[in-house]
Amino acid sequence: MIGLPHYLLVGSALFGIGAFGALTRRNAIAVLLSVELMLNAANLNFLAFWRFLTPTAMEPHVGVLVGLAVAAAEAAIGLAIVLSIYREFGTVNLDKIAELKG
Amino acid sequence: MSADLGLLAFVSLTVLTLVPAILVVSTRNLVHAGFWMLPCLIGVAGFYALLEAHFFVVVQVLVYIGAILVLIMFALMLTRDVMDPKERQTNAAGVWAGGVCGGGLLATAHILFHHTWRASSLRPEPAHEQTVALGTALVTRYALPFEAVSVLLLAALIGAIVLAKSLRPVAPPPGCDGEVRRA
Repeated sequence: MIGLPHYLLVGSALFGIGAFGALTRRNAIAVLLSVELMLNAANLNFLAFWRFLTPTAMEPHVGVLVGLAVAAAEAAIGLAIVLSIYREFGTVNLDKIAELKG
Repeated sequence: MSADLGLLAFVSLTVLTLVPAILVVSTRNLVHAGFWMLPCLIGVAGFYALLEAHFFVVVQVLVYIGAILVLIMFALMLTRDVMDPKERQTNAAGVWAGGVCGGGLLATAHILFHHTWRASSLRPEPAHEQTVALGTALVTRYALPFEAVSVLLLAALIGAIVLAKSLRPVAPPPGCDGEVRRA
């Protein structure tokens, strides 16, 4: 029977894939996509815990809603920063944007 | 729902979520990577349905697919021409990043399946009662986090406008000797 550890394993796998993408991608927007995968994994784990441990509690739902709003804010701000970097440097390749590297 | 049907739904949703997720982080064409996000997000919405969190199925489709993904696709298309799909899209950190993520995943799986979970035998309330309870909680007990999120979203809105606006002064048009007339 499918239980809590299976859902948490899918969530962890999604988080691991997202973390791998965030660490290895060279394009800033692809990194943002990977971060969205990680945020999705966090929400999935939240709701899995809610369903199997405290199915009548309201707190996890509020937490997931806050997480969704943070994801939306992150996407908007992240993409605005990427667009202004693109205007300044003419590229969104993270290997080439190294002004602050000592 | 019978156990077999639940297992089938779980396995197919796992494939629907994880295979596109791997393609999102590995495919070279970034527009394709953006489109691969779509089945992945739908798969996560399916998991929410399986977990009986009905409200969040709708929210996932509306917010993630309807708003965030569309926003990302716009940004991809606005900056697309600079990165050739034939060029390598990953940096030199692939091996150790894979090691860290894979090792972390294995360690997590080990902990998950060796921990005894005190699962509750209760079932979630039906969809409409969950939604009513969430709405009530957001304006009574959790009004403060709700308002904090509103302020965060307002700040993000204003911040995104300020950041995306061009900071450089617009160059004077040719024929105009340096004097920019203001309308």
